[in-house]
Amino acid sequence: MGTYIIRRLLWVLVLLFAVTALTFVVFTVLPSADPALLRAGRQPSPQLVEQIRKNFGLDRPKYEQFCNYVGDISPVWFFDCRNRHVLGIIPSLKTPDVKAPDFGFSYQNDTPVIDQITSRLPATIGLTVGAVLIWLLIGLTVGTISAIKSRSLVDRLSMGAALIAISAPVYWLGLVSLFLFSNDIGKVHIFRGAGSYQPITDGVFGWAAALVLPWLVLAAAFSAFYARLLRGNLIETMSEDYIRTARAKGLNERRVIFRHGMRSAITPIVTILGLDIGILLGGAILTESVFNIPGIGRLAYDSIARSDLPVIQGTVLFGAFFIVIMNLIVDIAYAFLDPRVRY
Amino acid sequence: MSVGAADLLTESEGEGNLATAPGAEIAARSPLQLFWRRLRGDKVALIALAFIVLLLLIAVLAGPIRKIFGAPPPNLQDSGTLDDFGTPTYDFPKHIMGVDDLGRDVFSRVLYGARVSLEVALAATGIAVACGTVAGMIAGYYRGWVDTLISRSIDVLLAFPILLLGLGLGSACSLKGCLGGVIKPGISVVIFIISLSSSLYFARIIRGQVLSLREKEFIEASKSLGASNLRIIFKEVLPNLVAPIIVYSTLIIPTNILFEAALSFLGVGVKAPNPSWGQMIADAVSIFNTAWWYMFFPGLALLLTVLAFNLVGDGLQDALNPKSGR
Amino acid sequence: MTRSFRTIGLGALAAVALAVAGCGGGGSDEKSTSSTPGGKKAPLNGAKKGGTLSVVSQADFVDIDCGKAYYQYDYMLCYATQRPLYSYAPGDPNNVQPDMAADKPEISPDGKTVTIKIRTGVKFSPPVNREVTSKDVKYAIERMFFSSVNNGYAGSYMGDIVGAKTGAKPGTKIEGIETPDDQTIVIKLKKGTGAVVAQALSLPGSAPVPEDYAAKYDAKAQSTYKNFVVSTGPYMIQQDAQGKAIGYKAGKTTTVVRNPNWDAKTDRKPAPLDGFTFKSGNDPAVAAKQIYQGTAQVSGDFAPLPPDIKAGLTQYKGQLNLNPNGAFRYVAMNTSKKPFNNVDIRRAVIAAFDRKAIQLSRGGDTIGDVASHFLPPGIPGFEEAGGQKGPSLDYLANERGDMAVAQKYMKAAGFPSGKYNGPEITMIGVNTGTGKKAAQVTQAQFEKVGFKVNLKLVTQDSMYSKFCQIPKSGYDVCPNVAWGKDFNDPQSLLDVPFNGENIIQEGNSNHALFDDPEINQAMDKAKLIVDLQERAQAWGKIDTQLMEKGAAIPWLWDKQPNINSKDVNAVLNEFTSNWDLNYTGLK
Repeated sequence: MGTYIIRRLLWVLVLLFAVTALTFVVFTVLPSADPALLRAGRQPSPQLVEQIRKNFGLDRPKYEQFCNYVGDISPVWFFDCRNRHVLGIIPSLKTPDVKAPDFGFSYQNDTPVIDQITSRLPATIGLTVGAVLIWLLIGLTVGTISAIKSRSLVDRLSMGAALIAISAPVYWLGLVSLFLFSNDIGKVHIFRGAGSYQPITDGVFGWAAALVLPWLVLAAAFSAFYARLLRGNLIETMSEDYIRTARAKGLNERRVIFRHGMRSAITPIVTILGLDIGILLGGAILTESVFNIPGIGRLAYDSIARSDLPVIQGTVLFGAFFIVIMNLIVDIAYAFLDPRVRY
Repeated sequence: MSVGAADLLTESEGEGNLATAPGAEIAARSPLQLFWRRLRGDKVALIALAFIVLLLLIAVLAGPIRKIFGAPPPNLQDSGTLDDFGTPTYDFPKHIMGVDDLGRDVFSRVLYGARVSLEVALAATGIAVACGTVAGMIAGYYRGWVDTLISRSIDVLLAFPILLLGLGLGSACSLKGCLGGVIKPGISVVIFIISLSSSLYFARIIRGQVLSLREKEFIEASKSLGASNLRIIFKEVLPNLVAPIIVYSTLIIPTNILFEAALSFLGVGVKAPNPSWGQMIADAVSIFNTAWWYMFFPGLALLLTVLAFNLVGDGLQDALNPKSGR
Repeated sequence: MTRSFRTIGLGALAAVALAVAGCGGGGSDEKSTSSTPGGKKAPLNGAKKGGTLSVVSQADFVDIDCGKAYYQYDYMLCYATQRPLYSYAPGDPNNVQPDMAADKPEISPDGKTVTIKIRTGVKFSPPVNREVTSKDVKYAIERMFFSSVNNGYAGSYMGDIVGAKTGAKPGTKIEGIETPDDQTIVIKLKKGTGAVVAQALSLPGSAPVPEDYAAKYDAKAQSTYKNFVVSTGPYMIQQDAQGKAIGYKAGKTTTVVRNPNWDAKTDRKPAPLDGFTFKSGNDPAVAAKQIYQGTAQVSGDFAPLPPDIKAGLTQYKGQLNLNPNGAFRYVAMNTSKKPFNNVDIRRAVIAAFDRKAIQLSRGGDTIGDVASHFLPPGIPGFEEAGGQKGPSLDYLANERGDMAVAQKYMKAAGFPSGKYNGPEITMIGVNTGTGKKAAQVTQAQFEKVGFKVNLKLVTQDSMYSKFCQIPKSGYDVCPNVAWGKDFNDPQSLLDVPFNGENIIQEGNSNHALFDDPEINQAMDKAKLIVDLQERAQAWGKIDTQLMEKGAAIPWLWDKQPNINSKDVNAVLNEFTSNWDLNYTGLK
């Protein structure tokens, strides 16, 4: 188990490196704008543009820029990117830089990327956690009822609704629900509208009130998907032999379903839950855009629109980090839970 | 479903990997006729299929249909239909779905928008299925470094926030195109992004199927008879993959439609002024409280289309795997 | 609007003109008397002393270092925290008034020497605390040229100062700025451009900076002075005991408090508030509603969307102010190559162009008047160039476009059918918001006269930094460009966008690549005119010549909407087109 975990951790590093490299290729090697010109103001002299390029490090070859970037975010580094020589293999022999990861500064306003990300993180976490709770509540309840009452009217109606929820684009659902239910522009004033987000530190009630609608909208498709998945799994499990045995033993139906059926039907859902949380923590771009929630997703979107390379790199890497970490947690949890898993 | 495509990818992935591996076992023992017979019994799926056919007709015949309804061409701007503040009006009998903020007929644009959605979804799915099947077969059959490469690149891609990748490639390729001009700005960027992400995913599924197939007796038998690898792949393995390929293709199509719309919504997509549903919704965001029709109708069209494909996909899956118990 | 200007790259856009500003909603009915320097205060119609104000914005400041600031919204902060040599008071956008200076600038008849006396008794905020001298102004101007500061306009307007060079090493002295005593500053110029240099001293960059305190921050590759900035104005960014600007939280809020060292006796500004907080990251639609309903107080950098402007004119009367801000929007055709190097083709396009439709796509009459030439209302030379009606040219006569006239010019250009039938042209537009709409309207206009248009929509930043500012990129049309004044002088509007001598290979702002020897010469001559009336004449004539040559297609003279809540006595500074925080108070 120990070596497995170590191998998985190393793989996480490789993955993050690959994501960094891919991001670098997509956004820096194929830039959609020239950050130096954007900073130079109007009618800049060529010297000024050159100067800014130099300040940003954009005058260096691409591979060197990449090397520098990786060197900056890695806490230990042994390589001199400019002169291409090794500073020291063993940290104790020569002293390489040992420092906190540095994600650089925004081209747009010179603030550290890491500050921008951490200041946006609470909103994204708040959105994710609330939505997850709602979709688990709805999804699992509906899924279980549907499975037990399979082929009943309730089942058909709820599965029909679920399919609609899965088919609706989340941003459109958001707009429609704002149009109908928000308290500023809605037809019926129920929920707080877009842009009413306030940090939880300004009051829990206001924070939650502003997030109710985004939670519901974001959770809609997930609830539907989890309900469908649980229903399918549960129906299949309930036809397994050991369930029949349990029934034959005379256990009551409730106990059969919840003690025996649910246990194996829910395992795959836990896996997917982990991955979904990972993806959402990296920023729910569409939901954050529609409801104007200042989270990571919006930061990423805005930074792409402005070609703010360091912020793009930071947010993508951050999103990837969550996905990879949640993957890791799920896999390790699996390895612990299921002795059959051997890697 | 905020991350749209990525989430839906995990969705189908979940069903594929975890619930059952439907195609493999069943297709092996049941011919396509059985499958078709089961499908015929599924009324909902058939209605959805009819809707999709209708949609295809609309996409192909958007021009004549528009004329029958007396709607103006999709890109014709008429600033006379805007009020003094430049906001659009809803003049019902004349414009059955109102006009947009440049005075263009929304109905007409929704009709033509079907083209983009279907074109992208079908093209991307086609490419993904072709590439994914080949890659998946090679990886699953030969194992070795090909397998490692494919599996690992899927890992990387799954770790990447896929909408951000799409946005990045979209804005990078919107200037002069990418890959030495192979990918031109506009719709082909979107097709590239979508087929890239879904072909890796597809490869993964096919690989899984092939892995279980290659252990089967009939493959062993062919091998012992001295059949070449290529022959086994195409004559023995591929026919057994037809059913799962059909099912997963239908499952990917709605995902891809939503992915295309999400990219369009975020500003990467078909070239303006040509209409696409996602772009129309995006353009409507700033005025949706006053001009609800501009936001509502393209979204409704999108919802119905995706729903139809999902229903057909469900039907196909049930027909292949009656165990899932619908 | 500020926001859109900012992103549109209009740069400074400080000024705004117009005494004619009776326009629109009128949140401020303030008519301040033209106050004598340091003397009488403007009346404060019902504003009370004290209280704090919240300013809501979409984006954050680009730079809170006022020597670097070159965006309208940044100026909103700078004019409240700093005292440049000159500034404009509300109600009087045409006459610049001494601020840090004690009196009007003296310009020598040859325009080569500018002499300014500065005020006594003005002190820097803590931790510097000492009195401002002319050397602090000299350093402020010098540092604008430092490579670590890289001010965006210093080169354009003060580049003629003897010894001044952009991108200079931090600490470089400029010999052309002399300080014979603590109150006097003499600026020597290579050319007779004193009139423009004097005007440019009304921009925040001329506000004094203490060298003894700031030099160490300016010595860095990128100056870090903004984190330790000291003030001379009535307000300052909240700071800790060491002078660190802790009130500035990038991307979120900026907290501004009173400057304890500001002495009301030395200033004409009433400064009734105790302080204000700028909040960034707001959505325009939401922020507008909050302000109208009173949960937020005044708008900072954003333009309310058309539905909210409509609401301001109907539902929330008196809470919306629309102010012409001295900018024009235009469609640039690349005049350096085929097909738009042909003047008749350009005239044909102008003739066919429905300028009303494109104005409507932005929000109609409330957001600005349909333009008939370049110089906007309120700028000297506007009337001379034909006023609202514009020059009498047949291809400008109908704002809705005139296909007959278009055909006439197309025929003259050698297309007997009256329609263009050459190869496809490339148009580079913006892919979001009103820019996207305007680009699509423009495409339709070009198609009317037969052009096949390849419309590429990219991000605003791509459009400028990869195409429209790069002559080599080979675009044919840039439909989403605009230009705004830096100060109330026609030169700041016409010289950069249409003088062929200003074409540069990177960061170019002559998007039409217009290079006409006759115009270039006329501009170079007009720059040296010192008399304001003559300047207006000369530049007005240049404007008309530009229209005759079809240099570009102007379509809008912007008005900037600003909104305020009911409990605020909001006072607009017509020059900056922003709320003037030195005059605004609570009711």
